[in-house]
Amino acid sequence: MTIADVPHVLDVRGLSKVYGTGETAVHALRDVDLTVRRGEYVAVIGQSGSGKSTLLNVLGCLDAPTSGRYLLEGLDVAYLDERQQAVLRNRQIGFVFQAFNLIPRTSALANVELPLVYAGVGRRVRRERALAALELVGLSGRADHRPNQLSGGQQQRVAVARALVTSPALLLADEPTGNLDSASTADVLGLFDRLHAAGRTIVLITHDDEVAARAERVVVVTDGRLTEVGPRRVAAR
Amino acid sequence: MSVVEVVRFAVRGLIANRLRSLLTMLGIIIGIAAVILLTALGNGASQYIQGQIAGLGANSITIIPRQPPASAGTDGRPLTAADARALADPQGAPDVASVSPVVTLPAPVDAGRASSDATVVASTPTYFAGANVQLGTGRAYTDADVAAGRKVVLLGRTVADDLFGVGSDPLDRDVLVRGVPFRVIGTLAPAGEGQGLSNPDENVLAPLTAVQGSLTGFGDLDRIVVQARSTEAQAAAESEINSILDRRHGVDTPEERDYQVISARQLADVLDQTLSAFTLLLAAIAAISLVVGGIGITNIMLVSVTERTREIGIRKALGAPPSAILGQFLVESIILSLVGGVLGVALGYAGTLVPLGEFQPVVLPPAVVAAVGVSAAIGIFFGAYPARRAARLRPIDALRRE
Repeated sequence: MTIADVPHVLDVRGLSKVYGTGETAVHALRDVDLTVRRGEYVAVIGQSGSGKSTLLNVLGCLDAPTSGRYLLEGLDVAYLDERQQAVLRNRQIGFVFQAFNLIPRTSALANVELPLVYAGVGRRVRRERALAALELVGLSGRADHRPNQLSGGQQQRVAVARALVTSPALLLADEPTGNLDSASTADVLGLFDRLHAAGRTIVLITHDDEVAARAERVVVVTDGRLTEVGPRRVAAR
Repeated sequence: MSVVEVVRFAVRGLIANRLRSLLTMLGIIIGIAAVILLTALGNGASQYIQGQIAGLGANSITIIPRQPPASAGTDGRPLTAADARALADPQGAPDVASVSPVVTLPAPVDAGRASSDATVVASTPTYFAGANVQLGTGRAYTDADVAAGRKVVLLGRTVADDLFGVGSDPLDRDVLVRGVPFRVIGTLAPAGEGQGLSNPDENVLAPLTAVQGSLTGFGDLDRIVVQARSTEAQAAAESEINSILDRRHGVDTPEERDYQVISARQLADVLDQTLSAFTLLLAAIAAISLVVGGIGITNIMLVSVTERTREIGIRKALGAPPSAILGQFLVESIILSLVGGVLGVALGYAGTLVPLGEFQPVVLPPAVVAAVGVSAAIGIFFGAYPARRAARLRPIDALRRE
């Protein structure tokens, strides 16, 4: 089986997103095409306001495109209702946010368990899988810690564990290192490298060329348009 | 996701804001406690008054003459001894146990230098049971006394005190009633003021024949006291009385009646209706505070939803369906109102343990059930809007909120 036969995790055709109407309309995305194969590690870079966050929101089914087609695992997202989109987010997508977005006053373990709760997984299995995910990010010793008892890097690793726990088809990371110091950044990016090596599909949004350089493929968003830049692993070093 | 999980999320959400949850609950606690307490108050008052009325003679019915309205075209007929005899007919009035014809007249009663303004109530021995007269000392007059027209008399407590000194026992003493000598054969137990048609302590009781023979002559009756066979038979007895007297007095419609039937039951009915209205009013006022408490829940839940918009966004991003978010916030408000309701019932019940003046509030079990039911309903009703708002938040908008 050649690489071309591997089904696309993401298949985006002619995607546009317009905010507002008439004179004040803002074209956040213009006719964007993007495909991501299984196991790919793609970085999306662009200036703030370039439309990269809008792209991530659409890819994560958090926002609906104005026009164009978006297939996730071969499924046309436009035909899903709110409930079905929730199920899709739960099963197919793992989010990692810049602001970590852990639920406050809730233990790391409970945070990681949360997607499994919504997936209807039983208590014991839930616990096992959440602990395994925490183990993977090297935080099994902090399972009982609350987010405010963890460092930024640790919080982001909990968030990664939470994103992974349902074994989603796609890991979507929005500026995952934006709020981290260099040591924690190295931690989290090292984690992404390991996940990539393990065959995870990752789409990472960043404005940091060094972070983007870790990906095997880089696309640039400028004024809502997408340009393929190709692998920059060597170029950036 | 199971109901257990929804409840767990809700409880966690409430515990995270302990003080606020408690203060919100307070609105419901006060509302429910007020409903319980005020209905118990009305109920207690009702039971107290029912007890007082029972003291008037449970099965007693009094018939008095009255001026018929001008439309009747007659002045009406007086109550007569023949009327009383007709009412005593077991065929026509099977539910009547006894009939006591009564003649009354105000009369000065003298004993030596002392004098008392009394009301002479002249009747037959059945009057004692019929009007619920309690004997103090001595004996009641008998059928033999009535048949012989013996001038014997029983003194009400006030009259006895006036004539012979407080607490005296004037047995076998002679008194002058409008100058006619009567022999005292007993006294009546003190009845207290305000019961019945006049103050029974100021009455003197004598055989009908003796009074008619020496003081009033054998004329019309002032009233007829009828005793029903039982409390249950009272309504039937009243209608039998009406039909007999209507026939005898030539009355066609109740409006034209030249007599009036008064019973403790009627009095109880009127008072009961008044009290029910009063209790309802109290409950309505309490219900207002309950609504205010409910609006408090809506308010706090809206604040909570706004405050936790980001959390809602995170949950949605992680795959929480709208129903899970709706459930979480709805269950939060239901817990708030239900726990508040239960605490309110407890507080209201504790409040009823304090006696108020002469009567004790009595908790109505249906009020308790209704209060808890209503508080749960309040949770659903007043929590629905904030919960729907939370469930309908678009994940992207919710996540953007800082």
